[in-house]
Amino acid sequence: PLKLLQPKPIPKRSGTSQRKPHEPQIARSLIKEIFRHFVKMPVTRDAIKIVEKCSERYFKQLSNDLEVFANHAGRKTVEVADLEVLMRRQGLVTDKMPLHVLIERYLPLEYRKLLIPIAVSGNKVIPRK
Amino acid sequence: SRRRMKRTAPRSTLRKIIKKHKPQLRLAANADLLFESFFFFFFFSILKVHLSFLLFLRRLAEEARTNAFENKSKIVKPEHTISAAKVL
Repeated sequence: PLKLLQPKPIPKRSGTSQRKPHEPQIARSLIKEIFRHFVKMPVTRDAIKIVEKCSERYFKQLSNDLEVFANHAGRKTVEVADLEVLMRRQGLVTDKMPLHVLIERYLPLEYRKLLIPIAVSGNKVIPRK
Repeated sequence: SRRRMKRTAPRSTLRKIIKKHKPQLRLAANADLLFESFFFFFFFSILKVHLSFLLFLRRLAEEARTNAFENKSKIVKPEHTISAAKVL
C-alpha cells in the first residue's frame, strides 16, 4: 500500500536546478479523499488546499502535544497510552465515545483486528492493556 | 452509491512527519518488551495517530459543510474551510 503514496515520477525537464529534498507529508490524494468522504458535498480545489495546510498544522500541533506528554512523564518516548490521553484532550475520546468504538467505526478491519484486544492461546491477551 | 474510502494508514509517512517536527521524540519503544510486542506497540501508536487525523478531517469537513449551508452555498469554498479551521 505504501507504493501508492509515493509521488508519481515527474518527467525531468532539462536545465532545471536540483529539487529540494522531499518534505514528508500526507499524500494530497489521501487528504482529498478522506475530506471528500466526510464532507459529502462538492468542494472547490482551493478549499482542498486549505485542508492540506490545516493538516500540516495539525501534525505540528500533534507532535508538540506528544512531546509535552512524554516530557511531563519524564520520558523521551511516546507511549500508546499518551495517544489515548491526546485523543481525550482533543475531545475525540469521551466517556460516551470510548476509543474502541472510534477504532471500530473508522479503521478498516485489518487494523481493527490488531488494535482491539483478543485472547490468544496460552491465556494471553494481545495487545496487553 | 458512495465510493468506499481508501483508509490504509500511511504509516511510514506519519512517522516521518513526527520525526520532522520532533527529531528527538521516539514512538512507543518499550525496551523491556519482546520484539513481537515492540512491533505491536509501535504499530498501535501510528494507527492511533492515523485515527486522530481521520477524526480531525471529519470535524473539519463537518464544520466546513455547516458553514457552506449557512451561507446557502451548494459547494464548499475556501472561506468555509478557513472559518471551520478557526473553530477547531
